[in-house]
Amino acid sequence: MYKYWEISKTYMKTQLVWRADVIFNMVFTVTKILFAYLLWGMVFKDRDMAGMFSFNGMLSYYIASSFLSQLEMSGGISAEIYDRIRNGTFSKYMVIPAGIERYFLAMEFGIVLFYIPFDFIAAIIWIFIFRVNFTFTMDLQVIVCAAVIAFLGLLFMAQLNYLLGIMALKFPGIQTFLMIKDNLAMLITGGIVPLALFPESVINILKILPFYYVTYLPAMLFSGFCREEAVSGIFIILFWCIVVQAVINVLWKKYVKKYQGAGI
Amino acid sequence: MGNLRKNIRVLKEMVYLRFHRMVVSRLDFFAPFFIDGILFVVQLLAFNVVYSNVDKIGTWGHGEMVLYIGTFSLINAINMVVYFFGVNGIPSKIKSGELDLYLSKPVSPLFHLSFEKTSPGSLPLAAMGICIILYGASILDVKPGIAQIIQYIFWVLVMSVLYYDMEVIIRSVPLYTVSMARMEQIEEVGIDLCMKLPGTAFYGIYKVIFYIILPYGIMATLPVQSIISEMDLWTGIYGIFIVIIFSCITCAVWKYGLKHYNSASS
Repeated sequence: MYKYWEISKTYMKTQLVWRADVIFNMVFTVTKILFAYLLWGMVFKDRDMAGMFSFNGMLSYYIASSFLSQLEMSGGISAEIYDRIRNGTFSKYMVIPAGIERYFLAMEFGIVLFYIPFDFIAAIIWIFIFRVNFTFTMDLQVIVCAAVIAFLGLLFMAQLNYLLGIMALKFPGIQTFLMIKDNLAMLITGGIVPLALFPESVINILKILPFYYVTYLPAMLFSGFCREEAVSGIFIILFWCIVVQAVINVLWKKYVKKYQGAGI
Repeated sequence: MGNLRKNIRVLKEMVYLRFHRMVVSRLDFFAPFFIDGILFVVQLLAFNVVYSNVDKIGTWGHGEMVLYIGTFSLINAINMVVYFFGVNGIPSKIKSGELDLYLSKPVSPLFHLSFEKTSPGSLPLAAMGICIILYGASILDVKPGIAQIIQYIFWVLVMSVLYYDMEVIIRSVPLYTVSMARMEQIEEVGIDLCMKLPGTAFYGIYKVIFYIILPYGIMATLPVQSIISEMDLWTGIYGIFIVIIFSCITCAVWKYGLKHYNSASS
């Protein structure tokens, strides 16, 4: 465990090398909030409620969702694995004295841990700049559940991206698929529009899938909505983490034999 | 005239070579279509959801928004088919010194760079954009006359020039500085926002930013306004004016940038 903490610490320090990236990462969290502010600002000129949301509730959701989605940076895992397999340097991860998947999870953990305070500061700044009367749940049980779901959601995305990365051992042209996945994830994680505005039947389907729990449900819980889903959400996303881990174990054993270390 | 004929001949050869290179990998050939196609389908679905909960956003209803998404998709398709992949390679060629090769050829380096990587695989994106536009027109129940259609096509082409200008300006920054200073990310953020929000949504400082400084806000807005008869004379004049200004800036930035270019050490 100690060595993985050291890996996390190394990646936390690495973030400091690119200080401009940290600042830009903070600044660009505004995009989603600006989009919500302008779009929903026009909508709420003529009405007080849209679905279950008031204007403040809506902006609170977007701020919480933006904070969480900014922390979801695991796309780099699949990109790194894909590139390394393509150019034959994935062997680097095979010779280090650490489990490959755990190495990437530790890396992701370190990066996320580093960005949490910065993204939190950014969220506070946007609350003041956009004069949002931020609605935040005061129920401690809900806050803990939301934090656990958010953690498991980030873990799930890291696992999923690791899985997609190792698929490059079998399918050399998965880069297109990775980009399509990013575009789709934007919609089904509630990044563009809160999933609560979707038709009931679609929400019911999404509730079975893991993406509902990555940023959407934690953001809703933090903003004071959907508290009845807090506990069940933990079990569903935990179930998906176990499923995706089982798939990783099977596919890794199957596909690692195809790696020749010579690039494609 | 002779120069134009030479450029067309060069362009024809570049398209021919590019097509041959791209068909080697069939999935890569259609990759831009799949990636951007899904992106615009996602936008359509998202706004379908929004409009199932509200009737209008500002003055625009569902039909106008579908037209807007279709128009952005069409402009993006022109960008992807004609110049995106070429222009996108400019920063790396400046940094690696590969630009030397383009400077030594008997054709304009910017012309060569811009059109050397046309992407015929993105053509279905244009068809998809047109389908979305027709869907938007059917929701609105508008039957534009020939004059309106010509006006719309004119604005789409003019805005494609503006898109090109913006891309070249941003990717010419490495001619002046060592780092791109996150300019591409600014472009990404601007386009991402304006892809989802029509220019009519902007006001105050946001209008200054997205109508003047980074004019992504007018790119799909003006063609849509022209076809739904919402465009007044001053808006039209402003659109032409901004494209002329940005084209002049592009020429100046590129021309003076080349004077700063020090081969591989840039």
